[in-house]
Amino acid sequence: MNPGVRLCGDDVVSVACEDTQSAQALADHLRESGEWLECVAGIASCVAQFDLAAVSAEEAVRRMASALRDAPAARDADAEVVEVPVCYGGDHGPDLDDVCERLGLSREAFIELHTGSEYGVDMLGFTPGFAFIGGFEAAQEVPRRSQPRVRLAAGSIGIAGGRTGIYTLPSPGGWQIVGRTPMRLFDTSSAQPFRLRAGMRVRFVAIGPDEFDGWCAE
Amino acid sequence: MTFTVLKPGLQTTVQAGPRTGLRHLGVPAAGAADPLSLALANRLVGNPLLAPGLETTLNGVSLGFQSDGFVAITGARAKAWLNSEQVKLHRTLAVAAGDELEIGAARLGARNYLAVAGGIDVEEVLGSASTYLPAGLGGVHGKALRSGDVVATVPAAGTPKTLKTPKEFRPPASNSWALRACYGAEVDLLNKESRFDLFDTNFSVGFRADRMGLQLEGARFEVTSGGRLASAPVFPGTIQCPEDGIPFLLSIDAQTIGGYPRVAQVARADRHLIGQLRPGDHLRLLWRDVGSARDELLAKHDYWGKWLPGIHDVI
Repeated sequence: MNPGVRLCGDDVVSVACEDTQSAQALADHLRESGEWLECVAGIASCVAQFDLAAVSAEEAVRRMASALRDAPAARDADAEVVEVPVCYGGDHGPDLDDVCERLGLSREAFIELHTGSEYGVDMLGFTPGFAFIGGFEAAQEVPRRSQPRVRLAAGSIGIAGGRTGIYTLPSPGGWQIVGRTPMRLFDTSSAQPFRLRAGMRVRFVAIGPDEFDGWCAE
Repeated sequence: MTFTVLKPGLQTTVQAGPRTGLRHLGVPAAGAADPLSLALANRLVGNPLLAPGLETTLNGVSLGFQSDGFVAITGARAKAWLNSEQVKLHRTLAVAAGDELEIGAARLGARNYLAVAGGIDVEEVLGSASTYLPAGLGGVHGKALRSGDVVATVPAAGTPKTLKTPKEFRPPASNSWALRACYGAEVDLLNKESRFDLFDTNFSVGFRADRMGLQLEGARFEVTSGGRLASAPVFPGTIQCPEDGIPFLLSIDAQTIGGYPRVAQVARADRHLIGQLRPGDHLRLLWRDVGSARDELLAKHDYWGKWLPGIHDVI
């Protein structure tokens, strides 16, 4: 048996992965096989749920080990870079000043830093469409808020532990909110309800409050 | 047929089967917290086992009917009345225009299910009619029912037979439960004593108990994660142990990703029971190896399949 493959529960198999990219590639591979009920990539693992009535645990472990041999090491990079407009600070980003102070940056320098790179979507989770976006190394030491906020507006952009998170729905949340996007990232009335997917590339683009309102009016 | 909500109760929602295959997009399962009871109710009115019905929480619901039809009530131990006359659970009940039906407070168990012949007419969102309240998906505008809501049902294909659930297929209500469970992915992060306690504690269900999950009180567990675990997938039935040492049992609305050690996973065979746990109930976890967990699931399917053909899709 592959040492990385283990059961965690009667109908769930987990595999430790080297990084998020290989976890995503394995999850995609498993999903395409049609043999699993759920295939979810975590930050450093890939977890799949199987139909215990149809498949024994031994068989599931065997299938996972064989998928592990066949899956590509990383998925093909998405060519598309999704530009996410963000209105930083003010009412839309109540924690921006705290984050800046912690990082020893001016607002302008923070915005330049955050909009200056391309990032990868590590995973969607927590609530439908919530995007965990990795690669904001400068904010590695920024913790979550000790007291989570009870209600954040949809589109709120949070920072914590080197990641950027986008709240696609109004919800409680503990990330440090630096801005808000007017872009609808989860819309069940759309043919494609999820604008972002794990593995996609993202670039943040700073917009002003007027532009934000303009987007919302569209 | 249509009915109007007279008293909505604490949290009454439309629930059917779960959303499946979308957890990688952050979409939780939702669906009946006790799908076996929903299936038993649907069976009595001739519906597919997971047709959309109503799920009540702790204190029932009152409805007024605008047209004739057939309904059935299952789930928690509770009284029910049709026009002030007591009616039994686990029966096909004929209702007429102008009738009022009330489900009273649950005395044992947490949730009752009402099925209506034809099923409740709501649109499927992301593959299921089930209400997921945190994101406002499914059901009646994604919300719990409110007084005055008018709910329509799909026309029933003919008149259902008048049935009773046979006695041996009525799940016993209780305030003391045992759920079979297997070790979770990070059980090794519990110290030896805590690992023993997990299966040797008479837990009580805390007041933080809803469709998302339930706090289990009774022992303080020591985890050595240091609070810095990479976020990893979780499922209904996963028991997480945060640093405060109070385990949390995830239910049908469980989020898709969690950051706490996953110490155990309630076996699929017993996951449907989670929906009947209420604050103050006693709970023990019974350790199973994965082989016996599967045998017990297959045995349960065999048993319930005699009254509920298609049970495999339900539990």
